[in-house]
Amino acid sequence: MQNEKTTVIQAQETPVIELKHVKKYFGDLYVLKDVSLSVKKGEVVVIIGPSGSGKSTLCRTINRLETVDEGEVLIEGKPLPQEGKQLARVRSQIGMVFQSYNLFSHKTILDNVTVGPTDVLHKSKKEARQEALELLKRVGVEDQADKVPAQLSGGQQQRVAIARSLAMHPKAILFDEPTSALDPELIGEVLAVMSELARENMTMVVVTHEMNFARKVADRIIFMDEGRILEENTPEEFFDHPKTQRAKDFLNSIQHHE
Amino acid sequence: MSVGTLLSQYGDKYLLALLTTWRLTFFAFLIAFAVGVVITVVRICPIRPLRLFGDFYVQIFRNIPGAALLILLVYAFPYIGMLWSYYTCVLIACSLIPSAFCSEYLMAGMNTIQVGQIEAARSLGMTFFQLVKNLVLPQALRTSVLQLTNLLVGTMLTTALASQVPMSSTDLTGIVSYINTHAVGGITAFAISAVLYCATALVIGCVGSWIDKKVRILR
Repeated sequence: MQNEKTTVIQAQETPVIELKHVKKYFGDLYVLKDVSLSVKKGEVVVIIGPSGSGKSTLCRTINRLETVDEGEVLIEGKPLPQEGKQLARVRSQIGMVFQSYNLFSHKTILDNVTVGPTDVLHKSKKEARQEALELLKRVGVEDQADKVPAQLSGGQQQRVAIARSLAMHPKAILFDEPTSALDPELIGEVLAVMSELARENMTMVVVTHEMNFARKVADRIIFMDEGRILEENTPEEFFDHPKTQRAKDFLNSIQHHE
Repeated sequence: MSVGTLLSQYGDKYLLALLTTWRLTFFAFLIAFAVGVVITVVRICPIRPLRLFGDFYVQIFRNIPGAALLILLVYAFPYIGMLWSYYTCVLIACSLIPSAFCSEYLMAGMNTIQVGQIEAARSLGMTFFQLVKNLVLPQALRTSVLQLTNLLVGTMLTTALASQVPMSSTDLTGIVSYINTHAVGGITAFAISAVLYCATALVIGCVGSWIDKKVRILR
Protein backbone atom coordinates (compact mmCIF):
# COMPACT_ATOMS: atom_id res chain seq x y z
CA MET A 1 0.00 0.00 0.00
CA GLN A 2 2.63 2.52 1.04
CA ASN A 3 4.71 1.87 -2.07
CA GLU A 4 2.02 1.91 -4.71
CA LYS A 5 4.12 3.90 -7.16
CA THR A 6 7.09 1.60 -6.99
CA THR A 7 4.78 -1.40 -7.27
CA VAL A 8 3.42 -0.08 -10.55
CA ILE A 9 6.88 0.58 -11.93
CA GLN A 10 8.11 -2.85 -10.90
CA ALA A 11 4.96 -4.64 -12.09
CA GLN A 12 6.92 -6.37 -14.84
CA GLU A 13 9.30 -7.90 -12.33
CA THR A 14 6.88 -8.76 -9.53
CA PRO A 15 6.88 -12.56 -9.30
CA VAL A 16 3.50 -14.27 -9.66
CA ILE A 17 4.33 -16.49 -6.70
CA GLU A 18 6.82 -15.76 -3.98
CA LEU A 19 7.63 -17.67 -0.79
CA LYS A 20 9.78 -15.92 1.80
CA HIS A 21 11.43 -17.96 4.55
CA VAL A 22 8.46 -20.29 4.88
CA LYS A 23 8.49 -22.68 7.85
CA LYS A 24 5.88 -25.33 8.47
CA TYR A 25 5.38 -27.94 11.18
CA PHE A 26 2.99 -30.89 11.33
CA GLY A 27 2.95 -31.25 15.10
CA ASP A 28 6.55 -32.13 15.97
CA LEU A 29 7.46 -32.84 12.38
CA TYR A 30 9.38 -29.97 10.78
CA VAL A 31 8.34 -30.25 7.11
CA LEU A 32 9.36 -26.94 5.51
CA LYS A 33 12.61 -25.50 6.82
CA ASP A 34 13.01 -21.88 5.77
CA VAL A 35 12.00 -22.27 2.14
CA SER A 36 12.18 -19.31 -0.23
CA LEU A 37 11.12 -19.45 -3.84
CA SER A 38 9.91 -17.11 -6.53
CA VAL A 39 8.13 -17.89 -9.78
CA LYS A 40 8.00 -15.34 -12.58
CA LYS A 41 5.20 -14.91 -15.06
CA GLY A 42 5.31 -17.58 -17.76
CA GLU A 43 7.85 -19.67 -15.91
CA VAL A 44 7.60 -23.45 -15.47
CA VAL A 45 9.13 -24.52 -12.18
CA VAL A 46 9.38 -28.25 -11.53
CA ILE A 47 9.90 -29.46 -7.97
CA ILE A 48 11.47 -32.87 -7.56
CA GLY A 49 12.81 -34.82 -4.63
CA PRO A 50 12.28 -38.00 -2.64
CA SER A 51 8.99 -38.82 -0.89
CA GLY A 52 8.53 -36.87 2.32
CA SER A 53 10.82 -34.08 1.21
CA GLY A 54 8.01 -31.52 1.54
CA LYS A 55 7.36 -30.93 -2.17
CA SER A 56 3.61 -31.41 -1.98
CA THR A 57 3.33 -29.39 1.20
CA LEU A 58 5.28 -26.58 -0.44
CA CYS A 59 2.94 -26.68 -3.42
CA ARG A 60 -0.13 -26.61 -1.17
CA THR A 61 1.06 -23.61 0.84
CA ILE A 62 0.90 -21.51 -2.33
CA ASN A 63 -2.92 -21.39 -2.28
CA ARG A 64 -3.10 -21.88 1.49
CA LEU A 65 -4.48 -25.41 1.47
CA GLU A 66 -1.70 -25.64 4.05
CA THR A 67 -1.09 -22.69 6.34
CA VAL A 68 2.48 -21.70 7.13
CA ASP A 69 3.82 -21.24 10.65
CA GLU A 70 6.44 -18.66 9.77
CA GLY A 71 7.37 -16.65 6.71
CA GLU A 72 5.20 -15.28 3.94
CA VAL A 73 3.48 -16.42 0.77
CA LEU A 74 2.92 -13.63 -1.75
CA ILE A 75 0.78 -13.74 -4.87
CA GLU A 76 1.69 -10.93 -7.27
CA GLY A 77 3.44 -9.19 -4.41
CA LYS A 78 0.49 -9.34 -1.99
CA PRO A 79 0.53 -11.59 1.07
CA LEU A 80 -2.11 -14.35 1.12
CA PRO A 81 -5.07 -13.22 3.24
CA GLN A 82 -6.65 -15.19 6.08
CA GLU A 83 -9.40 -17.73 5.34
CA GLY A 84 -12.44 -15.90 3.98
CA LYS A 85 -13.76 -14.08 0.91
CA GLN A 86 -10.42 -12.39 0.12
CA LEU A 87 -8.58 -15.69 0.15
CA ALA A 88 -11.30 -17.26 -1.99
CA ARG A 89 -10.72 -14.57 -4.59
CA VAL A 90 -6.96 -15.20 -4.65
CA ARG A 91 -7.56 -18.95 -4.88
CA SER A 92 -9.84 -18.43 -7.87
CA GLN A 93 -6.82 -16.96 -9.68
CA ILE A 94 -4.51 -19.89 -8.93
CA GLY A 95 -5.39 -23.21 -10.53
CA MET A 96 -4.72 -26.49 -8.78
CA VAL A 97 -4.48 -29.98 -10.19
CA PHE A 98 -4.33 -32.83 -7.69
CA GLN A 99 -2.85 -36.29 -7.68
CA SER A 100 -6.30 -37.87 -7.24
CA TYR A 101 -8.04 -35.57 -9.81
CA ASN A 102 -10.74 -34.60 -7.25
CA LEU A 103 -13.46 -34.00 -9.80
CA PHE A 104 -16.88 -33.42 -8.23
CA SER A 105 -18.28 -36.93 -8.37
CA HIS A 106 -21.96 -35.91 -8.47
CA LYS A 107 -21.58 -33.48 -11.36
CA THR A 108 -21.22 -34.18 -15.07
CA ILE A 109 -17.90 -33.49 -16.74
CA LEU A 110 -19.35 -30.34 -18.30
CA ASP A 111 -20.72 -29.09 -14.96
CA ASN A 112 -17.36 -29.78 -13.32
CA VAL A 113 -15.79 -27.30 -15.73
CA THR A 114 -18.59 -24.70 -15.68
CA VAL A 115 -19.28 -24.51 -11.93
CA GLY A 116 -16.26 -22.28 -11.21
CA PRO A 117 -16.94 -19.76 -13.98
CA THR A 118 -20.70 -19.52 -13.24
CA ASP A 119 -20.62 -19.52 -9.43
CA VAL A 120 -17.28 -17.91 -8.61
CA LEU A 121 -16.73 -15.64 -11.63
CA HIS A 122 -20.48 -15.05 -12.19
CA LYS A 123 -20.35 -15.71 -15.91
CA SER A 124 -23.55 -16.57 -17.76
CA LYS A 125 -24.41 -20.26 -18.08
CA LYS A 126 -24.26 -20.03 -21.85
CA GLU A 127 -20.85 -18.40 -21.97
CA ALA A 128 -19.42 -20.81 -19.40
CA ARG A 129 -20.81 -23.80 -21.27
CA GLN A 130 -19.41 -22.68 -24.59
CA GLU A 131 -15.97 -22.09 -23.15
CA ALA A 132 -16.06 -25.37 -21.21
CA LEU A 133 -16.82 -27.30 -24.40
CA GLU A 134 -13.88 -25.62 -26.12
CA LEU A 135 -11.58 -26.49 -23.21
CA LEU A 136 -12.80 -30.09 -23.13
CA LYS A 137 -12.07 -30.29 -26.84
CA ARG A 138 -8.62 -28.86 -26.25
CA VAL A 139 -7.79 -31.58 -23.70
CA GLY A 140 -9.43 -34.21 -25.91
CA VAL A 141 -12.47 -35.30 -23.87
CA GLU A 142 -15.25 -33.32 -25.57
CA ASP A 143 -17.28 -36.48 -26.26
CA GLN A 144 -17.43 -37.26 -22.52
CA ALA A 145 -19.12 -33.98 -21.52
CA ASP A 146 -22.36 -35.55 -20.27
CA LYS A 147 -20.81 -38.41 -18.32
CA VAL A 148 -19.87 -38.37 -14.64
CA PRO A 149 -16.24 -38.63 -13.49
CA ALA A 150 -16.45 -42.30 -12.44
CA GLN A 151 -17.20 -43.26 -16.05
CA LEU A 152 -13.88 -41.85 -17.28
CA SER A 153 -10.35 -43.25 -17.16
CA GLY A 154 -7.85 -41.67 -14.78
CA GLY A 155 -6.07 -39.92 -17.62
CA GLN A 156 -9.32 -38.49 -18.92
CA GLN A 157 -10.34 -37.36 -15.44
CA GLN A 158 -7.02 -35.60 -14.94
CA ARG A 159 -7.36 -33.82 -18.28
CA VAL A 160 -10.84 -32.67 -17.22
CA ALA A 161 -9.31 -31.42 -13.96
CA ILE A 162 -6.84 -29.38 -16.01
CA ALA A 163 -9.72 -28.01 -18.11
CA ARG A 164 -11.56 -27.12 -14.90
CA SER A 165 -8.53 -25.10 -13.77
CA LEU A 166 -8.12 -23.42 -17.15
CA ALA A 167 -11.77 -22.33 -17.20
CA MET A 168 -10.93 -19.92 -14.37
CA HIS A 169 -8.24 -18.19 -16.52
CA PRO A 170 -5.73 -18.57 -13.70
CA LYS A 171 -2.54 -16.55 -13.32
CA ALA A 172 -0.73 -19.78 -12.49
CA ILE A 173 -1.52 -23.46 -12.11
CA LEU A 174 -0.15 -25.72 -9.38
CA PHE A 175 0.25 -29.39 -10.26
CA ASP A 176 0.61 -31.65 -7.21
CA GLU A 177 1.95 -34.96 -8.57
CA PRO A 178 -0.61 -34.96 -11.40
CA THR A 179 0.47 -38.31 -12.88
CA SER A 180 1.36 -40.30 -9.77
CA ALA A 181 -2.02 -42.04 -9.52
CA LEU A 182 -2.20 -42.91 -13.22
CA ASP A 183 -1.59 -46.20 -15.00
CA PRO A 184 1.69 -45.91 -16.91
CA GLU A 185 0.02 -45.88 -20.33
CA LEU A 186 -2.18 -42.94 -19.34
CA ILE A 187 0.62 -40.69 -18.09
CA GLY A 188 1.63 -39.52 -21.56
CA GLU A 189 -1.71 -37.97 -22.45
CA VAL A 190 -1.70 -35.83 -19.31
CA LEU A 191 1.93 -34.77 -19.73
CA ALA A 192 1.16 -33.82 -23.35
CA VAL A 193 -1.55 -31.40 -22.21
CA MET A 194 0.82 -29.96 -19.61
CA SER A 195 3.62 -29.53 -22.13
CA GLU A 196 1.26 -27.66 -24.41
CA LEU A 197 0.28 -25.33 -21.57
CA ALA A 198 3.95 -24.68 -20.89
CA ARG A 199 4.51 -23.82 -24.56
CA GLU A 200 1.65 -21.32 -24.30
CA ASN A 201 3.55 -19.60 -21.49
CA MET A 202 1.28 -20.64 -18.62
CA THR A 203 2.94 -20.04 -15.26
CA MET A 204 3.28 -23.48 -13.70
CA VAL A 205 4.57 -25.07 -10.53
CA VAL A 206 4.79 -28.82 -10.99
CA VAL A 207 5.57 -31.42 -8.36
CA THR A 208 6.43 -34.60 -10.24
CA HIS A 209 8.50 -37.74 -10.50
CA GLU A 210 8.51 -37.60 -14.31
CA MET A 211 12.14 -36.75 -14.99
CA ASN A 212 11.88 -36.69 -18.79
CA PHE A 213 9.03 -34.23 -18.55
CA ALA A 214 11.01 -32.12 -16.08
CA ARG A 215 14.04 -32.02 -18.35
CA LYS A 216 12.06 -31.10 -21.46
CA VAL A 217 9.51 -28.65 -20.09
CA ALA A 218 10.97 -27.00 -16.98
CA ASP A 219 12.59 -23.58 -17.05
CA ARG A 220 13.94 -24.29 -13.62
CA ILE A 221 14.32 -27.37 -11.42
CA ILE A 222 13.96 -27.18 -7.65
CA PHE A 223 15.42 -30.15 -5.81
CA MET A 224 14.09 -30.67 -2.30
CA ASP A 225 15.09 -32.98 0.50
CA GLU A 226 14.01 -33.09 4.13
CA GLY A 227 12.08 -29.84 3.91
CA ARG A 228 14.86 -27.80 2.31
CA ILE A 229 15.59 -26.61 -1.20
CA LEU A 230 19.01 -28.11 -1.91
CA GLU A 231 19.40 -27.13 -5.54
CA GLU A 232 17.81 -24.68 -7.90
CA ASN A 233 19.02 -24.74 -11.48
CA THR A 234 18.23 -25.09 -15.16
CA PRO A 235 17.24 -28.65 -16.12
CA GLU A 236 20.45 -29.15 -18.15
CA GLU A 237 22.69 -28.08 -15.29
CA PHE A 238 20.73 -29.98 -12.67
CA PHE A 239 20.43 -33.30 -14.49
CA ASP A 240 23.89 -33.30 -16.05
CA HIS A 241 25.89 -31.66 -13.28
CA PRO A 242 24.09 -31.97 -9.94
CA LYS A 243 26.04 -30.14 -7.26
CA THR A 244 25.00 -31.88 -4.04
CA GLN A 245 25.69 -35.48 -3.16
CA ARG A 246 22.03 -35.91 -2.18
CA ALA A 247 20.86 -34.90 -5.68
CA LYS A 248 23.46 -37.20 -7.30
CA ASP A 249 22.24 -40.13 -5.19
CA PHE A 250 18.62 -39.31 -5.97
CA LEU A 251 19.20 -39.11 -9.72
CA ASN A 252 21.26 -42.31 -9.64
CA SER A 253 18.60 -44.25 -7.79
CA ILE A 254 15.99 -43.12 -10.28
CA GLN A 255 18.10 -44.03 -13.31
CA HIS A 256 18.59 -47.52 -11.93
CA HIS A 257 14.84 -48.00 -11.98
CA GLU A 258 14.19 -46.55 -15.42
CA MET B 1 -66.70 -56.34 15.99
CA SER B 2 -65.66 -57.61 12.61
CA VAL B 3 -63.62 -55.66 10.11
CA GLY B 4 -66.74 -55.36 7.94
CA THR B 5 -68.95 -53.79 10.60
CA LEU B 6 -66.17 -51.50 11.77
CA LEU B 7 -65.54 -50.24 8.25
CA SER B 8 -69.20 -49.82 7.46
CA GLN B 9 -69.77 -47.82 10.65
CA TYR B 10 -66.49 -45.93 10.88
CA GLY B 11 -65.07 -46.16 7.35
CA ASP B 12 -65.42 -42.45 6.66
CA LYS B 13 -63.81 -41.65 10.03
CA TYR B 14 -60.89 -43.95 9.23
CA LEU B 15 -60.46 -42.19 5.91
CA LEU B 16 -60.43 -38.77 7.58
CA ALA B 17 -57.99 -40.08 10.19
CA LEU B 18 -55.70 -41.40 7.47
CA LEU B 19 -55.78 -38.03 5.73
CA THR B 20 -54.99 -36.28 9.02
CA THR B 21 -52.01 -38.59 9.59
CA TRP B 22 -50.80 -37.98 6.03
CA ARG B 23 -51.20 -34.24 6.36
CA LEU B 24 -49.36 -34.13 9.68
CA THR B 25 -46.62 -36.40 8.33
CA PHE B 26 -46.19 -34.32 5.19
CA PHE B 27 -45.90 -30.95 6.92
CA ALA B 28 -43.89 -32.29 9.86
CA PHE B 29 -41.37 -33.89 7.50
CA LEU B 30 -41.19 -30.75 5.36
CA ILE B 31 -40.39 -28.61 8.40
CA ALA B 32 -38.05 -31.26 9.85
CA PHE B 33 -36.16 -31.44 6.56
CA ALA B 34 -35.84 -27.67 6.17
CA VAL B 35 -34.76 -27.17 9.79
CA GLY B 36 -32.46 -30.20 9.55
CA VAL B 37 -30.67 -28.76 6.50
CA VAL B 38 -30.26 -25.34 8.11
CA ILE B 39 -29.01 -26.84 11.39
CA THR B 40 -26.54 -29.00 9.47
CA VAL B 41 -25.12 -25.97 7.66
CA VAL B 42 -24.91 -24.19 11.02
CA ARG B 43 -23.03 -27.16 12.47
CA ILE B 44 -20.28 -26.95 9.85
CA CYS B 45 -20.08 -23.16 9.43
CA PRO B 46 -16.84 -21.30 10.20
CA ILE B 47 -18.33 -19.53 13.26
CA ARG B 48 -17.68 -21.60 16.37
CA PRO B 49 -20.54 -20.36 18.63
CA LEU B 50 -23.02 -21.16 15.84
CA ARG B 51 -21.52 -24.63 15.46
CA LEU B 52 -21.91 -25.23 19.19
CA PHE B 53 -25.51 -24.02 19.03
CA GLY B 54 -26.21 -26.49 16.20
CA ASP B 55 -24.74 -29.41 18.14
CA PHE B 56 -26.69 -28.35 21.23
CA TYR B 57 -29.93 -28.20 19.25
CA VAL B 58 -29.42 -31.72 17.94
CA GLN B 59 -28.54 -33.09 21.38
CA ILE B 60 -31.72 -31.58 22.85
CA PHE B 61 -34.22 -32.75 20.27
CA ARG B 62 -32.61 -36.10 19.58
CA ASN B 63 -32.84 -37.02 23.23
CA ILE B 64 -36.22 -35.69 24.35
CA PRO B 65 -39.24 -38.04 24.27
CA GLY B 66 -41.94 -36.83 21.89
CA ALA B 67 -44.63 -37.08 24.55
CA ALA B 68 -42.58 -34.94 26.95
CA LEU B 69 -42.09 -32.29 24.29
CA LEU B 70 -45.80 -32.29 23.48
CA ILE B 71 -46.74 -31.92 27.16
CA LEU B 72 -44.34 -28.99 27.44
CA LEU B 73 -45.84 -27.32 24.38
CA VAL B 74 -49.45 -27.89 25.44
CA TYR B 75 -49.28 -27.28 29.19
CA ALA B 76 -46.15 -25.25 29.92
CA PHE B 77 -45.80 -22.88 26.97
CA PRO B 78 -49.13 -21.09 27.59
CA TYR B 79 -47.58 -19.85 30.86
CA ILE B 80 -44.93 -17.98 28.89
CA GLY B 81 -47.55 -16.55 26.58
CA MET B 82 -47.37 -19.14 23.83
CA LEU B 83 -50.76 -20.62 23.44
CA TRP B 84 -51.09 -22.62 20.26
CA SER B 85 -53.75 -24.90 18.86
CA TYR B 86 -53.42 -28.62 19.59
CA TYR B 87 -52.68 -29.20 15.92
CA THR B 88 -49.83 -26.68 15.97
CA CYS B 89 -48.37 -28.22 19.12
CA VAL B 90 -48.44 -31.70 17.59
CA LEU B 91 -46.93 -30.40 14.37
CA ILE B 92 -44.09 -28.67 16.23
CA ALA B 93 -43.31 -31.74 18.34
CA CYS B 94 -43.41 -33.98 15.26
CA SER B 95 -41.06 -31.62 13.36
CA LEU B 96 -38.40 -30.73 15.90
CA ILE B 97 -37.51 -34.27 16.91
CA PRO B 98 -37.10 -35.58 13.33
CA SER B 99 -35.18 -32.39 12.42
CA ALA B 100 -32.43 -33.41 14.85
CA PHE B 101 -32.26 -36.88 13.27
CA CYS B 102 -32.33 -35.33 9.80
CA SER B 103 -29.24 -33.32 10.70
CA GLU B 104 -27.49 -36.42 12.04
CA TYR B 105 -28.17 -38.31 8.80
CA LEU B 106 -26.92 -35.40 6.72
CA MET B 107 -23.75 -35.18 8.84
CA ALA B 108 -23.18 -38.89 8.19
CA GLY B 109 -23.76 -38.32 4.48
CA MET B 110 -21.29 -35.48 4.56
CA ASN B 111 -18.59 -37.73 5.95
CA THR B 112 -18.63 -39.66 2.68
CA ILE B 113 -17.45 -36.58 0.73
CA GLN B 114 -13.80 -36.91 -0.23
CA VAL B 115 -11.58 -34.26 1.35
CA GLY B 116 -9.90 -33.82 -2.03
CA GLN B 117 -13.14 -32.65 -3.62
CA ILE B 118 -13.56 -30.06 -0.88
CA GLU B 119 -9.98 -28.90 -1.50
CA ALA B 120 -10.72 -28.71 -5.22
CA ALA B 121 -13.78 -26.56 -4.56
CA ARG B 122 -11.78 -24.26 -2.29
CA SER B 123 -9.05 -24.06 -4.91
CA LEU B 124 -11.64 -22.84 -7.41
CA GLY B 125 -12.26 -19.94 -5.04
CA MET B 126 -15.59 -21.07 -3.64
CA THR B 127 -16.76 -19.36 -0.45
CA PHE B 128 -18.35 -21.35 2.37
CA PHE B 129 -21.87 -20.99 1.01
CA GLN B 130 -20.82 -21.82 -2.57
CA LEU B 131 -19.07 -24.91 -1.22
CA VAL B 132 -22.21 -25.92 0.68
CA LYS B 133 -24.46 -25.30 -2.32
CA ASN B 134 -22.31 -26.96 -4.97
CA LEU B 135 -20.70 -29.82 -3.14
CA VAL B 136 -21.60 -30.46 0.48
CA LEU B 137 -25.41 -30.46 0.41
CA PRO B 138 -25.89 -32.18 -2.97
CA GLN B 139 -23.55 -35.02 -2.05
CA ALA B 140 -24.82 -35.31 1.53
CA LEU B 141 -28.44 -35.39 0.38
CA ARG B 142 -27.85 -37.85 -2.41
CA THR B 143 -26.08 -40.31 -0.13
CA SER B 144 -28.69 -40.07 2.65
CA VAL B 145 -31.86 -40.79 0.64
CA LEU B 146 -32.47 -44.13 2.34
CA GLN B 147 -31.93 -42.71 5.82
CA LEU B 148 -34.26 -39.83 5.02
CA THR B 149 -36.82 -42.36 3.79
CA ASN B 150 -36.62 -44.09 7.17
CA LEU B 151 -36.95 -40.70 8.79
CA LEU B 152 -40.16 -40.04 6.87
CA VAL B 153 -41.61 -43.33 8.11
CA GLY B 154 -40.41 -42.47 11.61
CA THR B 155 -42.04 -39.07 11.36
CA MET B 156 -45.32 -40.70 10.39
CA LEU B 157 -45.16 -42.97 13.44
CA THR B 158 -44.31 -39.97 15.63
CA THR B 159 -47.53 -38.26 14.54
CA ALA B 160 -49.38 -40.86 16.65
CA LEU B 161 -48.67 -38.31 19.40
CA ALA B 162 -51.70 -36.50 18.03
CA SER B 163 -53.87 -39.13 19.73
CA GLN B 164 -52.82 -37.70 23.10
CA VAL B 165 -54.56 -34.36 22.58
CA PRO B 166 -58.16 -33.65 21.61
CA MET B 167 -57.81 -32.48 18.00
CA SER B 168 -60.85 -31.61 15.92
CA SER B 169 -59.99 -34.27 13.34
CA THR B 170 -58.24 -37.19 14.93
CA ASP B 171 -55.36 -39.23 13.48
CA LEU B 172 -55.00 -42.95 12.81
CA THR B 173 -54.10 -43.77 16.42
CA GLY B 174 -56.65 -41.38 17.88
CA ILE B 175 -59.45 -42.97 15.87
CA VAL B 176 -58.90 -46.26 17.67
CA SER B 177 -59.44 -44.65 21.09
CA TYR B 178 -62.49 -42.89 19.67
CA ILE B 179 -64.03 -46.15 18.44
CA ASN B 180 -63.19 -48.03 21.60
CA THR B 181 -64.85 -45.44 23.79
CA HIS B 182 -68.02 -45.48 21.64
CA ALA B 183 -68.20 -49.19 20.92
CA VAL B 184 -66.22 -52.36 21.45
CA GLY B 185 -63.85 -52.29 18.47
CA GLY B 186 -61.27 -54.32 20.31
CA ILE B 187 -58.06 -55.39 18.65
CA THR B 188 -59.63 -55.21 15.18
CA ALA B 189 -59.93 -51.44 15.44
CA PHE B 190 -56.17 -51.31 16.07
CA ALA B 191 -55.50 -53.74 13.23
CA ILE B 192 -57.19 -51.53 10.64
CA SER B 193 -55.06 -48.53 11.68
CA ALA B 194 -51.96 -50.72 11.67
CA VAL B 195 -52.67 -51.85 8.12
CA LEU B 196 -53.09 -48.24 6.99
CA TYR B 197 -49.78 -47.24 8.68
CA CYS B 198 -48.03 -50.20 7.06
CA ALA B 199 -49.45 -49.49 3.62
CA THR B 200 -48.29 -45.88 3.83
CA ALA B 201 -44.83 -46.94 5.01
CA LEU B 202 -44.61 -49.42 2.14
CA VAL B 203 -45.35 -46.72 -0.43
CA ILE B 204 -42.83 -44.37 1.22
CA GLY B 205 -40.23 -47.14 1.21
CA CYS B 206 -40.74 -47.92 -2.49
CA VAL B 207 -40.57 -44.26 -3.54
CA GLY B 208 -37.47 -43.79 -1.36
CA SER B 209 -35.65 -46.73 -2.96
CA TRP B 210 -36.59 -45.49 -6.41
CA ILE B 211 -35.21 -41.99 -5.67
CA ASP B 212 -32.08 -43.51 -4.14
CA LYS B 213 -31.36 -45.47 -7.32
CA LYS B 214 -31.93 -42.37 -9.43
CA VAL B 215 -29.63 -40.05 -7.53
CA ARG B 216 -26.95 -42.38 -6.14
CA ILE B 217 -23.50 -41.01 -6.87
CA LEU B 218 -21.23 -43.19 -8.97
CA ARG B 219 -17.84 -43.43 -7.29
